[in-house]
Amino acid sequence: MGDYALLYILFAPFVGAIALIFVSNRQAMLVRGIAAGSAFICLLASLYLFYAYDHVKGGFQFVQKFEWSRQLGISLHLGVDGIGTPLVLASGILLFAGIFVSWHVKDRAKEFYIWLLILAAATIGVFMSLDLFFLYFFYEMSVIPMYLLLGMWGSHTKKYNEMTDPEGLKQRDSVGFIFNFGSNSKEYAAMKLVLFLSAFAVAAFMGILLIYKYSGLNTFDILILREHANLMNIPVLGTTLDKIIWLLIFFGFASIAPLWPLHSWSPVGHAAAPAATSMLHAGVLMKLGHFSIIRVAFEILPETTRELMPIAAVLCMFSIVYGGFVAYYAKDTKYVIGYSSSSHMGYVFLGMAALDYISLTGAVMYMFAHAMATGMLFAMAGWVYDQTHTRDIPSLGGLSNRMPFISGCFVIGCMASIGVPGTINFIAEVMIIVGSWNKYPFQVIVAVVGIVLTLAYLFKMMRGLFYGPMDQKYSHARDAVSAVDRLPLLIMITVSIGFFFFPMHLYNVVRSGVDPLIAKITRVVPVASETTGLRLEARGDNNTALADRSVPFDSAPVSGGRP
Amino acid sequence: MNFSLTMSPSDLLLLLPEILLTVWLCGILIVDFSFPRLPNEQLAYLSIAGLAATLGCLVWFDVTGITGTLFANMFVLDRMALYFKMFIVGSTILVILASVDYIHRFRFFRGEYYFLIVMSALGMMFMASANDLLSVFVTLEFSTFGFYVLVAYLREDMASNEAGIKFFILGVFAAGLLAYGISLVYGETGKLVFSDMKSAQATPGLAIGFLLIFGALGFKIGAVPFHSWIPDTYHGSPTPVTAYLSIAPKGAAFAILLRMFFVALATFKPIWVLLLVAASIMSMTYGNIVAIAQKNMKRLLAYSGIAQIGNVLIGLAAGTKMGNDAILFYLLTYLFANLGAFAIIIAVSEAIGSEEIDDYSGLGRRSPFLAFSMLVFLLSLAGVPPLAGFIGKIYIFVAAMKEGLYVLITVGLVNIVISMYYYLIVVKKMYISEPHDPSPITVSGPIKAVLYVCLAGTLVIGIYPQPFADWVVSATMMFSGLADPAVSLPIPPAATPIGG
Repeated sequence: MGDYALLYILFAPFVGAIALIFVSNRQAMLVRGIAAGSAFICLLASLYLFYAYDHVKGGFQFVQKFEWSRQLGISLHLGVDGIGTPLVLASGILLFAGIFVSWHVKDRAKEFYIWLLILAAATIGVFMSLDLFFLYFFYEMSVIPMYLLLGMWGSHTKKYNEMTDPEGLKQRDSVGFIFNFGSNSKEYAAMKLVLFLSAFAVAAFMGILLIYKYSGLNTFDILILREHANLMNIPVLGTTLDKIIWLLIFFGFASIAPLWPLHSWSPVGHAAAPAATSMLHAGVLMKLGHFSIIRVAFEILPETTRELMPIAAVLCMFSIVYGGFVAYYAKDTKYVIGYSSSSHMGYVFLGMAALDYISLTGAVMYMFAHAMATGMLFAMAGWVYDQTHTRDIPSLGGLSNRMPFISGCFVIGCMASIGVPGTINFIAEVMIIVGSWNKYPFQVIVAVVGIVLTLAYLFKMMRGLFYGPMDQKYSHARDAVSAVDRLPLLIMITVSIGFFFFPMHLYNVVRSGVDPLIAKITRVVPVASETTGLRLEARGDNNTALADRSVPFDSAPVSGGRP
Repeated sequence: MNFSLTMSPSDLLLLLPEILLTVWLCGILIVDFSFPRLPNEQLAYLSIAGLAATLGCLVWFDVTGITGTLFANMFVLDRMALYFKMFIVGSTILVILASVDYIHRFRFFRGEYYFLIVMSALGMMFMASANDLLSVFVTLEFSTFGFYVLVAYLREDMASNEAGIKFFILGVFAAGLLAYGISLVYGETGKLVFSDMKSAQATPGLAIGFLLIFGALGFKIGAVPFHSWIPDTYHGSPTPVTAYLSIAPKGAAFAILLRMFFVALATFKPIWVLLLVAASIMSMTYGNIVAIAQKNMKRLLAYSGIAQIGNVLIGLAAGTKMGNDAILFYLLTYLFANLGAFAIIIAVSEAIGSEEIDDYSGLGRRSPFLAFSMLVFLLSLAGVPPLAGFIGKIYIFVAAMKEGLYVLITVGLVNIVISMYYYLIVVKKMYISEPHDPSPITVSGPIKAVLYVCLAGTLVIGIYPQPFADWVVSATMMFSGLADPAVSLPIPPAATPIGG
């Protein structure tokens, strides 16, 4: 393993997907075995990566570089820093859990696993790309599997829209109905997702092309661009070029995050997707947005980031409050979790906007924490749907008698999502709030209100699903008893709780990635007369920044949490 | 002008591929007449053998670097001509393979079908070498001649006849434009060979002349506003002919366009860039928007083809060597994706007798292989990684970006999203909709071979494009004078900001 860890993580799912092509759907166990095996290799390698990452050294590690196109200046340049590492681990965990969550897929199981593996591998590819071209390459590559997964195995069919509840009312979700032109079928959701993400991805790509042209370096390599690209003070269209590039990149990638006015594809997509896809979608796919903004905008345009990041601070409030309120009024389990995800992604934007060591570290840790929490919730919503064939909260209830294990896990999932002490989400949330307090006190108050809202809608959903009287037609519903069904939930719970007690390694790793970034962004450089020498000096200062770590959780042992 | 036909045997070597194919062509006709009971497959494989020999000859030329000019510069054999000849011969082989089964629909003249296909290929090979306005005219008409017959080959089918008439009338009209344009240009400059026109003065007559020539070539490649024949002709023609028409003539016409713009008109670049930008924007937008409304697969691909040509024109509008590389690269990716998609249309219409998109419902269940191949080809046309079309599009956009064509790139990127919609509609039918008739569809051997070649091409170019990029770069070496000063890595950028 060693230096090639990234290649194992990236290519294990691809190889698994290719191997699956040659297997017949009739050999169900072999199909599942190959999928689970390749996901397991990916998970093991990402665990190794996480613990072998040297946070004292920091920077990009496990770097691999293969020339790919001389003419265009593209190379397959892979490497992870402290920000990418935990997200790769989260992808590995969610892929492995997702394979088990979808263990009972009957219809075209082989194809399902192929697309799921490709989706996960493409997502992982973004987290380790050090080349703008490959970042976009993997980003685009993750969109099409989503279309097929939603369309072929999605649950929200047209038939579902025609069903009525006992009072004769259509069971379609009012919110989804209003914002989606009366159509929230899975075909609609899939198409909307692809078109939305592609439209904003090409905006981001325009930004990437502008960076490529105006840097004049004939390369897409982020490491070269961040040191040598001089994009500042080029007047264009009444403003400066760097601002245009930054806005293209920010809004292009914020659509997948999803930031408030660009979010509407996301809950519909969650609602239509099968459970494992929702998990990957909410757990890691949405983080591609934050991650790409950090990787591209923060790295290459630090001064512009300092200038324009308040945009995110304004929009994140709307994300938090709007998502929270819609989730409160939604009646469909997956809409609730979907809107809660888009609300929670507002916290990450808040943490990023404050441009503070603690808050950005908190934001990255929150991405990891949220991946686990929302993964659990979607897995359980999927289980409830499989058992009852409905996601309409008012018509469900009292399921805790039928499925005590699931309802117990659901409580933990809700706790994690709210950020109750005992889960890693708590640490991350506190860090975001503490870190952004100085700069954005008003937004922090909104964020706290958002936590209260989270509490309200998650408890409302929990009560609606598991407590109160039960409709007798659901008396056949089963609990998750077998090891295969319990394993994914237990993994995610263990990780979520384990990192609360042993957060130090995660914190150190993330911090080693955040420190040089924030040092570069917050350092005020006289922009006009900037030379390479000054920049080198700016980088030299990182060491002092690394030294003045204010460690809030120094009681935990350095060994880190092993799930 | 004085033509001197003093040819040495070594000059004849430059014509070897064409001579070989001409002899073989006559051979096909003789075999067809002499053995009327010979099964058609044998004739198809005979044609393929000849084309394969020609292809081998071309590869040998390319590897050993045999180049030169003939007939007072009328016929030029350079790396680019070789590239386009391989492109044409390769697509012809795939088309003939794809038509082995389809041919049973013709009640008469089955043998002549192969003859006409190979004859058009021969004409287009000459087109790739045309370096003079006269040879442009002659070779263009020579290659179109075969197509006039081929398009109307289904004699009892009204649509095919209509397609033939439309293609013929508009084709002859385009030929008229071409002849008029050539006469104007000759009148203004007194020259016919492209490389002699470098020092021509800009006069209205010359401008109109070249506009007319561009119109005629625009007809060949199907760029807006010269596209009106495309939908009906594609729809009505026999499907293998449509596939052929959608690839090979476009490649050959681009060979001429490249020579015309970069050799004859190099000094007028600022003017023709505007023309190409306009044609490109119109082609992409019109093609993609109208494609959304299509109900028939062949019409969908016809309009998507118009949009794809708009994409290729972005590379031409860049007006640099890199833009030309990108064109050659893009056409290669387009060849595999488009021919593959048409091969599937042939296979499906053999099985269910329909080309309507609605009848593709549930193809994912009826034939997973066909559906998966169609998915790959359509996504490659849409430009989704890791498929060839994505790299082709990126190559073109990067080339245009270096020249600062921001508006054009923005339109191109928006069009990618629009095109995604209608390609995904087909994907939705194939994978999400339930089949009307669940019986499985079998695929015949030759079609399978075409699909494997196209799949391999689409995936290999998409995953590892370097050798293909190297190939196209060496093919356009003749344009290296256009190349912008090479920027090496990793030097810090120059102090002056580029452009504005």
